[in-house]
Formats: sequence, C-alpha cells, structure tokens
Amino acid sequence: MPLAPVNDAVTITELIDNPYPFYRQMRANSPVVSVRAVNRVMLTKAADTRAVKDDPETWSSDDPDTPMKRAFHAHTLMRKDGEEHLRERNAMMPTFSPRNLKTLWGPAYENLAGEYLDRLPKGEVVDLFPTLAGPLAARILADILGLSEASDDNMQFWSQALIDGAGNFGWFDEPFERVDRAHLAMDALMERKAEYYRANPDQTALSVMVNADDPIAWSQIVANIKIAIGGGINEPRDALLTVLYGLLTNPDQLDEIKRTGQWGSAFEEAIRWVAPIQVSSRRATRDTQIRGIDIPKGTVVMTCQASSNHDEDLFEDGHLFNAFRARNPHQSFGSGPHHCMGTHLARMMLGKIMLPMIFDRFPNMELVQPETVVWKGFGFRGPLNLPVRLN
Amino acid sequence: MPRLTFIASQGTSRTVDARIGDSAMQTALAHGIDGITAECGGAMACATCHVHVADEWADRVGPAEDTEADMLEFAASTVTAASRLSCQITMTEELDGLVLHLPDTQI
Repeated sequence: MPLAPVNDAVTITELIDNPYPFYRQMRANSPVVSVRAVNRVMLTKAADTRAVKDDPETWSSDDPDTPMKRAFHAHTLMRKDGEEHLRERNAMMPTFSPRNLKTLWGPAYENLAGEYLDRLPKGEVVDLFPTLAGPLAARILADILGLSEASDDNMQFWSQALIDGAGNFGWFDEPFERVDRAHLAMDALMERKAEYYRANPDQTALSVMVNADDPIAWSQIVANIKIAIGGGINEPRDALLTVLYGLLTNPDQLDEIKRTGQWGSAFEEAIRWVAPIQVSSRRATRDTQIRGIDIPKGTVVMTCQASSNHDEDLFEDGHLFNAFRARNPHQSFGSGPHHCMGTHLARMMLGKIMLPMIFDRFPNMELVQPETVVWKGFGFRGPLNLPVRLN
Repeated sequence: MPRLTFIASQGTSRTVDARIGDSAMQTALAHGIDGITAECGGAMACATCHVHVADEWADRVGPAEDTEADMLEFAASTVTAASRLSCQITMTEELDGLVLHLPDTQI
C-alpha cells in the first residue's frame, strides 16, 4: 500500500491563522496526509482520530522527539502509556471526584466567578480576555491544585512558559530559558506547600498526591502539577471566550437559550466549533494502515480533532455555531485512557455556573466590533481578545 | 453469540449480536447505536455510556461498583438503581438476550 501523500504547500503561518480551510480540503481529498510544515502525518477524519485514541496499544502517547520533555524537565503523564500512566493519573484523580466537584470546587468557582464579574466596569468597552477569562481560569486552577499563594499573573506566566516551551519545535533558546525561570518559582512554591499539606491535608491535587498511601515519586508529582498548570488555564479561558463569541454573534440562539436554559449545549457546541486543543500526537508501535495508507512503525501521527469536529460525516454545516444540534459527538476532550481529566470540571464551571451567571448579570452584553476579534492558534486555538460592553 | 437489545428513550428498539468479551458499550459503538457516546472509550473517565438495565436482568448484570457509581454522578440523565456504565458490562453467554434502556441524553 502507498505511504501518506505529502503536502508541502501549506505553511505553519497559514495553519496558525486559520487551519479550517486546509482541513476541509484534506477531508475531501486526502484525509491521511503527511504535512511538511509540521513534520507529521495528519489524520483529519473523525472516525480515524477516534480509533487511534481508543487503541493505545497500537498508538503510544510517548512521542520521544518533542521539546515537551525539555520544557517540563520530565516526562509527564501525558506522554506515558498503560499502567505507568494510569498510576500517575489515579494519583490526582481523587481531587476531581464528583463529590469534590459538587461540594468544594463548584461552590468555590461560583464565589470566584461572582467576585471577578463584580470587578468588571459597566457601560464601557472591556476586553474579557485579560479581565475575566484568563485570570479566573488561573485562580480556580491554583486553588484546586493547592497553590493558592500563586497570583493570577504567576499562574498565567507559568502556564504560557510551559506551553511555549513544549511547543518550541524550533528548539530556540528563549522559550527554554523562560520556562527554566518558571520552574524555579514553581518548584519553590510546591516544596513549601507540600510540607504544609503533610501537616494539613485537604482535597487539593498537591495534598492528595503527597499524602497518598503509596505516593508516586516527588519528581512526578511536580511534573504532573505542571502539566495541569500548562493545560488547565488556556482551555477553560479559550472555551469561555469562544462560547461568548458564538452566542453574542448569534443573538437568536442566545435568546432561545436564555429561555430554555440549555447553557450546557452552548458550551459543547463552542468547544466543537473551535476546539481549544486542536491537535494531539500518537506514535505507531507497529506497522499499520489507515484508509489504505501504510503507516510504518515509529510514525508520529497528529490527530486533528479540530478537523474531526467539522467532519461532514458527522456534522452538517460544521463551520457554523449551532447550539441546537441534535447530536454533537465532538472530540474536544479526547477519548481513551487520556480523556481529559478536567472534562466534568469544565462542564460544571462554564456550562452550569458561568454562562447563566454572566448573562443574568449583564443581560444586554454586546460584542463591540466583532470583526476586530482575532483568532489564532494551531495546537491551541481561541480568540486573543473579546471586546464587549456590559449592560 | 449473545444478543443484546438497546431500547431508545423514544421506545425504538434494536437487537444486535455481541462478541463475547466485548463490553456492551463496544457492542453499541460497533453497531452504530445512537444514544451511546462513550467519550472516554471505556477508560471509566466519563459518564457518557450510561444505560438502565432492564429489571429482569438486574440480578444477572449486578450493580455498579464504587468507582463506577462515583462516575455515574456525572451522568446527564436521571440515575437510578438500574443505572450502569455500559463500558463496565462485559458480554457473556449468560447475558444472551440482555435488554438495556438508553437515557434521553448522555451530555
């Protein structure tokens, strides 16, 4: 069988600005395609991305040649398989139990959301990225992880440094130097807090991992808290900005949802429409095929869930925001053993708490000059600004 | 091959063949049964393959274990004593004829 056809036309800049036209073209003509600009075989159909993630024996999460290990000073659970992955995942899992979500993190988020909304000025133009979406996502994450002393700015700086380092495929010095500085600060705080939690255990992630009967190694506790910092801010931030943009530019849908209370559907649609995490990678552990294309052992494929979420096989007019889809089998939380640990937390924070609250406070919120909203990102994607007037 | 019947919330029913050793969730996906989302693919990390086991099968299927019961708290539809995550029901000859009711929504 043939190897994946090569596309050397698309550039990384085009993919960062707007990958969706390229994905549409690939789904139609060349759904398994080797893309020079990212040096990966891209999978663009929903059935393929799902099948790969659901078969961890054929598709390992350990992608050895990424800058992620250098950036994180460790191999995190994201890049591990099988028992080793499960043990590290389970170490943090109790923090995210349904009980904790309901009794601790839900009420905590509701209070914080109220406080952050209180601070927003009424009647003037305000950008919700730096004033609400970013800092609020940082705050609740710091509190859940057990790092409440970290400021919103600290958390956002660390998160961005980790992301930039992990995505530093050019292997430039600056992102690694910046993330190294972030590590010094994160490590110092975690060591101090670990000591505190040994004497004062609670349900935060750091405390639960430190006080487990059979704890994982300290190096892995630290690495996995960092993966949560790197991955836990931009996603809820971008999801919130995306759902607000979707609703504010579709006022008929917003009116209907205000009437029916289907905020959860609006949230699901937003993350389908523009998935905060657009692509992931998996490595073939044996020779295999996808759609009649040979994938030799060792090949790293990129599962493009952003593309799967617009797949014509599953979604009509996938490029449009429609909160009333009868079925919405998007893959934005991934699937298989690495299925997003924050799924239920995100659904609760945004779908159940934030959306009803923000439109209750500001029923006449309007997007100011929607054409000035800038969308960017290939690996992660969301609006870089969201200028609104709150009324 | 054990037979497995899924009854949708609107009452329509479909009976399919299950492979022994597959979960009820895998059987549903293999036959394109609407109403089972199975977001996490069987890792017991979500609650989107929620089913209600028909009364007459409750004893043979058994109740949800602790972790599964915790995860069921995330289910989008009403959880009852008959609720199970279908990824945790393994198909055997003894379950030939099993009837599972699908909830109206999984998300």
